[in-house]
Amino acid sequence: MSADGTGNRVFDLDALDHSSARLFDELPCWVSIQDRDFRIIKSSAKMIADFGDHRGEQCYAAFKNRTEPCPECVVTLTFEDGKEHSSQEVRFDKRGMPHNVLVKTKPLRNGAGEIVAVMKVLVNISSEVELAKRLHDSVVRYRNLFDYAPCFISVQDRNFLITDSNRRFDESFGDGVGEHCYELYKKRPDRCPRCPVAETLQDGQVHTSEEIVVDNQGRQIHVLVYTAPLRNAAGEITSVMEMSADVTELRTLQNELASLGKLVGGLAHDTKNVLEGLRGGIYIVNLGFKNNNRRDIDTGWDMVQRNVARLSSMIMDMLYCAKKRSPSHVPVSLSAVLKEVVGLFAGKATQFHIQLESKAEEHVEILGEPKEIHGLISNLIANAIEACNADQDEQKAHRILASVSQDRSEAIIEVEDDGPGMDAATRNALFKDLVSTKGSAGTGLGLVMAQKVVVEHGGTIMVRSEPGKGSAFTVRLPIRPPDAAVT
Amino acid sequence: MGSNSKKVLVVDDEKDVCIYLSRLLEENGFRATCAGNGEEALQAVEKERPDLITLDLSMPQTSGVRFYQTLKSRPDLVGIPVVLVTGVTGPGGPRDTERFYNTRRQVPPPDGFLAKPVDPEEMLQLARKLTSGQRQESATVGPTRS
Repeated sequence: MSADGTGNRVFDLDALDHSSARLFDELPCWVSIQDRDFRIIKSSAKMIADFGDHRGEQCYAAFKNRTEPCPECVVTLTFEDGKEHSSQEVRFDKRGMPHNVLVKTKPLRNGAGEIVAVMKVLVNISSEVELAKRLHDSVVRYRNLFDYAPCFISVQDRNFLITDSNRRFDESFGDGVGEHCYELYKKRPDRCPRCPVAETLQDGQVHTSEEIVVDNQGRQIHVLVYTAPLRNAAGEITSVMEMSADVTELRTLQNELASLGKLVGGLAHDTKNVLEGLRGGIYIVNLGFKNNNRRDIDTGWDMVQRNVARLSSMIMDMLYCAKKRSPSHVPVSLSAVLKEVVGLFAGKATQFHIQLESKAEEHVEILGEPKEIHGLISNLIANAIEACNADQDEQKAHRILASVSQDRSEAIIEVEDDGPGMDAATRNALFKDLVSTKGSAGTGLGLVMAQKVVVEHGGTIMVRSEPGKGSAFTVRLPIRPPDAAVT
Repeated sequence: MGSNSKKVLVVDDEKDVCIYLSRLLEENGFRATCAGNGEEALQAVEKERPDLITLDLSMPQTSGVRFYQTLKSRPDLVGIPVVLVTGVTGPGGPRDTERFYNTRRQVPPPDGFLAKPVDPEEMLQLARKLTSGQRQESATVGPTRS
C-alpha cells in the first residue's frame, strides 16, 4: 500500500511481485483497476494495446467521452456494497471498432478490509452476442413462417393436447394451447374416429384427411389436413404437426358445379318430356290429316301448343335464374297478392284433395316488384301442393296454410304443409340444387327462383322440415328496403 | 279394331305422353287405356287385365316403383309383361330409377325398357313381341342411358 497525493491509502500494484504483475499483463482479457474517483490506476497489456493507455484518466472520460460517471456504474456499485457486479456494454477500441463486452467488477481490499480499488474485467462477447442475435433472428423468422403460413397449424402431443398453434389457427379457433384438438376443431368431447394425428403417432408417416371443422364464429370450414411427426434428438416421435389448408371456397365451387350439373340434367329430363309431348302432338296431327279426322287434329294441335307454352315457360324460368336485376320499388299489398294466388291454386288443390287455407293480416304492404312477389308466393304454394301430392301416404288428408303478417319493419310470408317433409340432405340442397321430390312434375327451379326474388328484395328465406311432419317456408321481407326509392 | 285386339295399359303422369302412346298403339291395332298414377293403374289392372303395361317409374302418389313391386308380388298379376318408359334410364338416373334398381333383385326384371323420347317403331315392335305369346324371358330393348 502507498499514499496517493490526497493522502488516501491505495492498493499498491507496484508492490505486486514480478510474476504476479506479469500474470496480470498476460491475462487474455481486458483488465483495469480503478480507484474511488474512477481513475484508472492500472491496465493490463492487452487493455493498453487495444484501447490505448488511459492510466491516470477517469474511465468515463477515457472510454465514454463523458464529463461525469455513467448513471449505472458497476464500479460505483462495487465500491458501495463490496460485491461483484456485472453489466453488458459496447466499448469502442482505439481504432473505433465496437466490441460487445461483459464487464465484471471485483473489490480490492487493504489489510484492514477496506475497499481501496475495484478490478474491472472486460470479456469480449461479440461473437456470442452475434450468435445470439442470429439465433433470435432465426427464431423470429421461423415463428413468422409458422404464424403467417396461409393455413392452420397446430402441434399436438401424444395426448392430442395442443402445445403450439400459429396465428391463423388462434384467430379462427382461439388460443388452443392446452386444449384437445377435437374439442377446438370439431367441438366434440372425444377423439374423431379416423384421426390422422393418431396415425402419424403410430407409424411416423405423413397422413392426410379431409375434414369439416367449426371456427369460433360457428362457421363450417372444409380443411385438407396433413400431419407430420416431430422427433426429439433420440429420434422418438414426441408430437405431431397438423397443418390444415382451408379448401372451403374450392368445395363450394365444386358443389356449385355439381348443382349446375344436376340442374342441367334435370332440365334435360324435363325437356325430354316436353319433346315427347311435341312429338306425340305432331304424330296425332299427322294421323288426323291422313285419316281426315278433325278430332285427332284438334287433340294433336292442343298438345303441340301446350308443350310449346311449357318449353317457353321453362326457358323464361332459366333466363330469370341466370339474370341479375334490381327490382323496382312500388307498393305491393302482400295480403292482396296472397288472396289472389290462393284463389288461382284453389282448383288444383281441390283436384288433389288438399285443403288450401290462407290467413292474412290486413294492409301488409312492402315496396317491391309486384310480378316477382306474385311469382314468389305462387312458387311456395305450388311447391307445397306438389310436396303433398308426392306423399306416399295416400290416405292422409293434406292441408296447406299460407299466411302473411307483419313484425315491425318486416313482412312475413309463411307457407306450411303437412306433406312428407324432407330429410337433412334434401333440406340442405334446397335453393341451390334443382330439387324435386315430386317426380317429373316440375323443373325444381321454383325454389331457386323464390330465393332469388327474396334476395333481390333484401329479405331472407328459411325452411323448417322434418320427414313425416311436413315443411314450413318462412320468408321475411323488409317493408321498405334500405336502398328503396319509390318508382 | 276388334275385341281380339291386345290391350295395353299406358301408365304415365305426363298426360301428353299418355295421349301419344295410347293413340300410337290404337292406330296400330291395339286397344289402349291410360292411368296417371300407380293407384289408378292398379284399379285399371284389377278392372280389366291388360296384355301389356307401359310404365313410367317417376310418378306422384303411388310411384311407378311401388306399382311395379305390387304387380310383381301378386301371383295373379305377375305374368303381365311390363315395359319401363323413362326419361332417364339405367343406374345413376333419378331417385325412382335408382330405387327401382335397388329393389329389382327382389322382384322379377321388367320385360323391356324404352327411353324417352320413345321411338314409335321400337315401341310397336316391343308391344307386338310381348303380346304375341312368343315372348322370350326378357325382350329388353336397352337398357339405354341417355
